[in-house]
Amino acid sequence: MKNKKETISLIELFWTFFRIGMLTFGGGIAMTMVMRHELVLKKNWMEDSDFFSIVALATAVPGVIAVNVAYLLGRRFRGWKGLILSVLGVVLPSFFIILLIVGILLPYFYNPLVVKFLRGCAIAVVGQLAFASVVFSRKSIRRWPHLAVCVIGIVIVGVLKLHPVFALVTVSIIGYFLFPNKKI
Amino acid sequence: MNKIVKILLDLFISFMIIGIGAYGGGMVTIPLIQHEIVVKNNWLLLDEMAEVFAIAQMTPGPIAINSATFTGFRIAGIIGAVVATIAVILPSLSIFTLLTPILIKYNKNEYFCRLRNNMQLGVLSLIFFAVWSYGSAVIDGFIDIGIAIAAFLLLFNFEKKLHPIIVIFTCGIIGLIIF
Repeated sequence: MKNKKETISLIELFWTFFRIGMLTFGGGIAMTMVMRHELVLKKNWMEDSDFFSIVALATAVPGVIAVNVAYLLGRRFRGWKGLILSVLGVVLPSFFIILLIVGILLPYFYNPLVVKFLRGCAIAVVGQLAFASVVFSRKSIRRWPHLAVCVIGIVIVGVLKLHPVFALVTVSIIGYFLFPNKKI
Repeated sequence: MNKIVKILLDLFISFMIIGIGAYGGGMVTIPLIQHEIVVKNNWLLLDEMAEVFAIAQMTPGPIAINSATFTGFRIAGIIGAVVATIAVILPSLSIFTLLTPILIKYNKNEYFCRLRNNMQLGVLSLIFFAVWSYGSAVIDGFIDIGIAIAAFLLLFNFEKKLHPIIVIFTCGIIGLIIF
């Protein structure tokens, strides 16, 4: 992969993240699946396992997940110039699209046809998120104790309604002591 | 100090708080955004806020950024949009900039790697929860469940061939026809 690193131009980096920012519905986690498609499956810039450890780090740190992933990947590929361009690339499309909507298109947003179309898209995002959880499970859950620990995290955030950070910290600590040799 | 500067400053602070509090994906952040904008600062009415979230969810891009641009524009025009958007991404960019030397230093450390690998299980919990929270917000009835499952199966079966956006748009067109 090393030789690939040098061949990625700054413009290509920016354009890739701009496209990702433009073509993603449903927020950060759904967005990581589009990133995976573009960066891992299509462009072959990195391996799945690499990508997942970056997504994990991006989720563990506060902030917008897609921006965090763009930061880490941009830096990895092209240093500080790369990270500025990737972050801009992922933020600018939503910035302009929202300005366009709030400034000009807002009345059309309530057109029944637009509402129906967007509702169909939003439902598909649920399928996409489910797909994301399957793709991640393939890498992280290989024995049933892994799943059990993961369920503890789901209970903390979904049933006990605690802040997600508690789920992440609890699961990480339990996993740390239970699975010392876990390699991902 | 004139009024517009004060508004921009308040916007900046509020969206910095949202940027720090944003955790585990957009849906989880919505209550925090609502608190800062509707309850604390009275910038928008609850109805207007619901409109912002509906639009933020259904347009491309992260929900926190969409809400920031939208709210910023509503309150103070283009400058407001720029200020709020920068404010919402600034905290995480700063945190990463501070963390980078530490991450590089401990990259090969056995304990650090062990913690990082197990952190992925915690992230997976948050992703499962995102399926639930997003699903319960948009899915209403058996037809919706059917569409979501169809989207999932398409993505799953044609993982390497089909770009996710094609599946999303296809479901949009299906929605256009059947809703």
